[in-house]
Amino acid sequence: MTRAALVVDDDPFIRKLIVTTLEDVAQFEIHEAADGIEALEVARRERPSLVFLDIDMPRIDGIDACRQLRADSATSATTIVMLTAADGDAIEREAVAAGADLYLTKPFSPLDLLRLVDRVGGQPS
Amino acid sequence: MRVAGEETALREEVARLTRELESLQHKLHEARSELGRQELASGRNERQLERYAADLRETFKQERSRSQQLRRSYMATVRALSNAVEARDAYTGKHAERVTAYGIEIARALGIRSAELAELEFGFLLHDIGKLAIADAILFKPGPLTDEERALMARHPLAGAEIVGGIEFLAQAAPVIRSHHERWDGLGYPDGLAGAEIPLAARMFSEADVLDALTTDRPYRPASSLAVAREMISTQAGRQFDPQVVAAFNTIPDQTFVHIRTEIG
Repeated sequence: MTRAALVVDDDPFIRKLIVTTLEDVAQFEIHEAADGIEALEVARRERPSLVFLDIDMPRIDGIDACRQLRADSATSATTIVMLTAADGDAIEREAVAAGADLYLTKPFSPLDLLRLVDRVGGQPS
Repeated sequence: MRVAGEETALREEVARLTRELESLQHKLHEARSELGRQELASGRNERQLERYAADLRETFKQERSRSQQLRRSYMATVRALSNAVEARDAYTGKHAERVTAYGIEIARALGIRSAELAELEFGFLLHDIGKLAIADAILFKPGPLTDEERALMARHPLAGAEIVGGIEFLAQAAPVIRSHHERWDGLGYPDGLAGAEIPLAARMFSEADVLDALTTDRPYRPASSLAVAREMISTQAGRQFDPQVVAAFNTIPDQTFVHIRTEIG
């Protein structure tokens, strides 16, 4: 897996916020996608080791995209972090069942995001 | 007369509708301006939020970097101290480093996790710092020590604990320094602690210490093989050593210790 990351959210502002927060914190090259279909295309091409996946998206939603990422051998080993809504207990279970490794609840804590990426990115000391 | 009246009514109706139209156009214009202002404000808010995100990122990176730097400084200081102790004790060579490495493997075999392993390292490296308080005449005496000299030598764990006592980042090191000569059966020193009263770090350390002593040449006897050392350590389970630590020690393959020996020298 290359050191690429992928941020998938249909809200361009959220994408921009996440990219700005994470820029060169853990040496990932960050790619973006605006929906699930685009996410799968970019993921197959860039082979990210980390994917942030919003749930509520047009065309195919995050849960579906997550399942498809896991089903495709090219992308199945990537770390997937779902971005779920605040009242989503059931959603969180569904996310994990679909193959998500972690989830962040929106509005997510930017510090949580930073620490997560730092951990996954394996920052050398 | 009737036609003129209808005409007037119509003209008035047109005028009324025209005024209404103008009013609506005016409202539309105002609504558009308001929308324009809101989009402008929203754009400014977004840009402001992006600045917050960028600043947070930079602060996080700085804090992480300082924390790594701090740990490196601590480690450098501890190594310097450890080397100072060893510099006086001519024949021990890389003893502190080897014992620390053995000790870390034993800790790992007991399931102790990375973050805690790092803290153990300081205590292991500085275990004999108390020897700085021991007179040269005793430390370098070629022959066996008298009872009095042995008693003075036996004070080094306490002296060491005192030396690091006031240093906050060495708080975890103090138990190893003070208790590394205690024995599971309570016949050790300086406090005569027994069993689980002895801090686990010290129990792990004393085994690593003896392992190194047995497998190193001394002026008065050659080194034993790893196999012999294991046997000797195992017979001390329940006596000098904690049986659980002995068991964990025996799960570590020979190759691990051989590798450490080769790496450190």
